[in-house]
Amino acid sequence: MTWISKDWAMGGIIKGLIVTLKHVFRVGNRPTVTVQYPYEKMPVHPRFRGLHAIDEDACIGCGICEVNCPNSTITIVKHNTRWYPQVNMGMCLFCGICVDVCPMNAMKMTGNYELADYSRESLIYGPDRLLFKKEVN
Amino acid sequence: MLFLAMWTGDIMFENTYELIVFILNFIGIYDPIYNVFEMFGLEYLLRIIIVLAEIAALFVFILLTVMFLTWMERKVVAMVQARYGPMVTGPRGLLQPVMDGVKLIGKEDIIPAKADRWVFTLAPFLIFIPALLVFIPLPFGESLIISDLNVGLLYIIAISAISPIAILMAGWASNNKYSLMGAIRAVAQDISYTIPLALAAISVVLLTGSLSTVDIVTAQSGTWFGFIPKWFIFLQPLGFILFLIASIAEMGRIPFDFQESESELVAGFFTEYSGMKFAMFFLAEYAHLFSVSAIVVTLFLGGWSVPFLSSIPATFAVLIPIISLAAFVIKTYVIIFFAMWLRDTVPRMRIDQLLNIGWKIMIPLALLNLLATAILLTAGVF
Ligand code: SF4
Ligand code: SF4
Repeated sequence: MTWISKDWAMGGIIKGLIVTLKHVFRVGNRPTVTVQYPYEKMPVHPRFRGLHAIDEDACIGCGICEVNCPNSTITIVKHNTRWYPQVNMGMCLFCGICVDVCPMNAMKMTGNYELADYSRESLIYGPDRLLFKKEVN
Repeated sequence: MLFLAMWTGDIMFENTYELIVFILNFIGIYDPIYNVFEMFGLEYLLRIIIVLAEIAALFVFILLTVMFLTWMERKVVAMVQARYGPMVTGPRGLLQPVMDGVKLIGKEDIIPAKADRWVFTLAPFLIFIPALLVFIPLPFGESLIISDLNVGLLYIIAISAISPIAILMAGWASNNKYSLMGAIRAVAQDISYTIPLALAAISVVLLTGSLSTVDIVTAQSGTWFGFIPKWFIFLQPLGFILFLIASIAEMGRIPFDFQESESELVAGFFTEYSGMKFAMFFLAEYAHLFSVSAIVVTLFLGGWSVPFLSSIPATFAVLIPIISLAAFVIKTYVIIFFAMWLRDTVPRMRIDQLLNIGWKIMIPLALLNLLATAILLTAGVF
């Protein structure tokens, strides 16, 4: 007699149909949640881990970030008489350890996540692309 | 004189050919053209040209509909999933199907090395042409029908029965296990669901006593008690549900999309196809969606008949073909929307569940429906 207890009216399907219909006609609080990406961007969280940035005046070129990077992403290179980290974004796993270990708080991470590029070479971000100067106020 | 008769709605045309001849006559260019052809003794050529023009118009209509349907499908899925869907190409992404078509035409046409070349090339055509042929006895509106066959419904069912062969050809010729699996599933499904489909259709034929689609639609015009439209959905609720489920299964749409179950069989029977041949499968799929919905509307929802059309003032009788076409298209889109809505709601079934439902539930219910209809008809209830 199991067939008697079956849901022959297909109540589950009808319930589901009603839910999807409510989505189609936006009944209740059912807004479109996606955005038109290239034209419109989602706000980035303040602690988002994106492309690096290095404070030009604070960095002392100590190399602690180089030593601590789990993927050996960072190499210290010479740039205008001083030594700065160079980051290979193709290998970075965006763990943020380099930011945490920096003794001078020179290493930062920005909200820039649009890092796709055409070649492996252009993924290596030298100091010329990473350095920023803190405004003195 | 003729125009006056048309104006008051006294004359009806049997098919679009007569309508075109009437319009040409009305503008006054039919006789000169006819005389030119008669000079060379080629009157039949004029007839052929007019029929070809009809077919071309049908073809363009179907292609535009199919393009619109692909857009609509993506939009409906997007709305259900709280997304936007195509938005960039054209207003609200309306030109996206055009871009997809251009992309598909530009793609390389790959034939696998071990494929059966002839069968592989033939299959997309064999699936595409029946999808268009089905429209020939379908009334799009009053006197908007290519040809009113007196075996229209039988013709439609027979022509739709060609598509499993094309699917099997595609699956076999691809020389690919996924394609073959998809093709075998599709054929099993089509064969099991054509039976309840045909049985549900026969119940309607019992009510009208005619296989002609025009007769079926005419039998559904008018109302009961002045407010219930005389549609067969009210006489045949079970038949309507069975026919709808069986036709969704015939279309191979989501609760029953075993022929191309993406998560199991890559893309089913057209895994190996690319470029224009893939586009033909795609077009055939949506043409099929439209034709099957149109058949559901013709059989159960009154086709082009508007329930209160007879109360429209006689001065508007000349607009009847246009009004009826609009009614037909609106009803068809309601059914299409239902199919898309169902597709976005339910997951795919298992193949054994599909066959169980087909053979153990749908066919007995369809036979029961047929029996009940026959008994009630003999008892004189209808
Ligand atoms: S970024 Fe920080 S840790 Fe890295 S070299 Fe500069 S000061 Fe040292
Ligand atoms: S975020 Fe992690 S992987 Fe990337 S450079 Fe810093 S330490 Fe290395």
